[in-house]
Amino acid sequence: MTKILDFKQDLTAAEKFSLVKREAIYTGIALAGLIIFWLIAGFGLSNVDVKIFHLPLWAVAGSIGVWFFAIFISFILSRKLFKNINLGGEGDE
Amino acid sequence: MNEQGSFAALLPLVIFMVVMVGISIFVRHQQAGKNFVGNYFIGNRSLGGFVLAMTTVATYSSVSSFVGGPGMAFQIGFGWIYMAVVQVTAIFLVLGIFGKRVALLARKLNAVTVVDIIRARFQSDFLAAVAAFVIVLFFCGTMTAQFVGGAKLFAAVTGYSYETGLILFGLVVVIYTSIGGFRAVALTDTCCALIMMVGIVLLLHYVLEAGGGYEQIMTSIEANHPEMLEPFSFGNMPWTIYFTQWLLVGICTIALPQSVVRGISYKNTEGLHSAMLIGTAVVGFMNIGINFTGILAHGVLTGSPADYGGVDNIIPTTIVTVMPKELVGLAIIGPLAASISTISGLLIVASSAIIKDVYMHYKPNAESSRLRILSMATTAIIGGAVFVIALTPPSLIWLINMFAFGGLETAFFWTLLLGLFWKGANKFGALLSMTGGTLIYCATQAAGFKILNLHQITIGITISLILFLIGSYFGRPSDKKTLKIFFPQ
Repeated sequence: MTKILDFKQDLTAAEKFSLVKREAIYTGIALAGLIIFWLIAGFGLSNVDVKIFHLPLWAVAGSIGVWFFAIFISFILSRKLFKNINLGGEGDE
Repeated sequence: MNEQGSFAALLPLVIFMVVMVGISIFVRHQQAGKNFVGNYFIGNRSLGGFVLAMTTVATYSSVSSFVGGPGMAFQIGFGWIYMAVVQVTAIFLVLGIFGKRVALLARKLNAVTVVDIIRARFQSDFLAAVAAFVIVLFFCGTMTAQFVGGAKLFAAVTGYSYETGLILFGLVVVIYTSIGGFRAVALTDTCCALIMMVGIVLLLHYVLEAGGGYEQIMTSIEANHPEMLEPFSFGNMPWTIYFTQWLLVGICTIALPQSVVRGISYKNTEGLHSAMLIGTAVVGFMNIGINFTGILAHGVLTGSPADYGGVDNIIPTTIVTVMPKELVGLAIIGPLAASISTISGLLIVASSAIIKDVYMHYKPNAESSRLRILSMATTAIIGGAVFVIALTPPSLIWLINMFAFGGLETAFFWTLLLGLFWKGANKFGALLSMTGGTLIYCATQAAGFKILNLHQITIGITISLILFLIGSYFGRPSDKKTLKIFFPQ
């Protein structure tokens, strides 16, 4: 926790905006990854004759699979790539 | 009014609405004596991760997600879920791209609304006025759709009249939003999102039970509706729908002012990060859950959608058919919560567009007591006006809803994205993009003009980009002072 607070305090305004821009680019890349996954999981698997719980594989991968992948992406973004910064509000000491 | 409903069906909704009003009064009491404008319009930037996630999801998920959507899933099959699941991008995209940048700028500029930020970035009162006008106009369309959709659902399920439904949930949502402002909206949205999830689980359980179990329903679908197991649904689900839905309810939703304003309202970045994760999980659960329930309704409704009065009647008919009478009232709270939370979220942003973005700009030293009365009155008047429109519901209400969604995205997508991330963006580009793009979008909608049979959002968003780039090329660059604020070096 101390490390996070130190990180928060060390950044200048320019560094914060640069970091936020980088995080926005990560988010854009994540979106591109999700679109590719969505295409492969749904249309890409639509000719595969495999069923799971009475559902064709594409229907499972294209719905629950995409959902789980989106959660995974959000996890990577929010817990690994995004950094905590001081926004200057009351919640940031 | 023809009242034939049972009070038992009404009671859970009445209790729910009383709780909503109670929360609003509590919030108002807590906020007494604090900075009114900051509190009323953005909850004094105090939202934590969980509430931020829930209020963003609840405002984004409308009554059509719970009624029209699953009705279409009943008709189309798993292709509809495959299309609807693109909405899992909505939360992490808006918070990931705009969340921190908007939060930093709002604190720097003491901004309370998205229009505040647009005004500061492009140094244009006219652009700010156009943005406020676009927000109020399209929000009124969306809110009308929510009122009508919710009241129709209420009437179909409870047996009470359409007008009773409007009064019960429509007027109450206007009252509690007017009293409590943004903080109350965020907390009631959280309750709504939770109740939506409970409603989905409850309905799914009773659909499975009434249909003889999952295996029996799916075996029947495999035998009688093979098209439902194919992504293009034997031609019922063309690629054009997939493509436009990616724009309309996926990528372009990052620019919806009602979502972006959430970036101004949270407390710290820890909360934002949590909200990205929680929101993505919740929005996926809701979309897949309710649409899957729509498909499984084949276990209890054996006819075509036309036999039940169209796709919009599938979920109401399913609720009435499968739910025990004493739980019917509880079951409709979920879809109505979707309607209520969207109305309250839009109402407070529309009100801020008039009071904060227009009135306070010209009367910056207005007394706090006057602002309090004006803000509450404006919220109540906008809500009341939409309520009156909804009393005589216009036809093609769902098209109006989607029209409004596309209009907001056309107006704000490039203005916000390029304005906040590109130094070369300037006032002329933003003006051309917002006014020209929105007008052309509306004109193509009115004329029914389409390219490759794609939704007019594709035209609006493309023209809007072209105009932005042309305007930025020929227009005067933003001044150094502004660029220093938005792009510090």
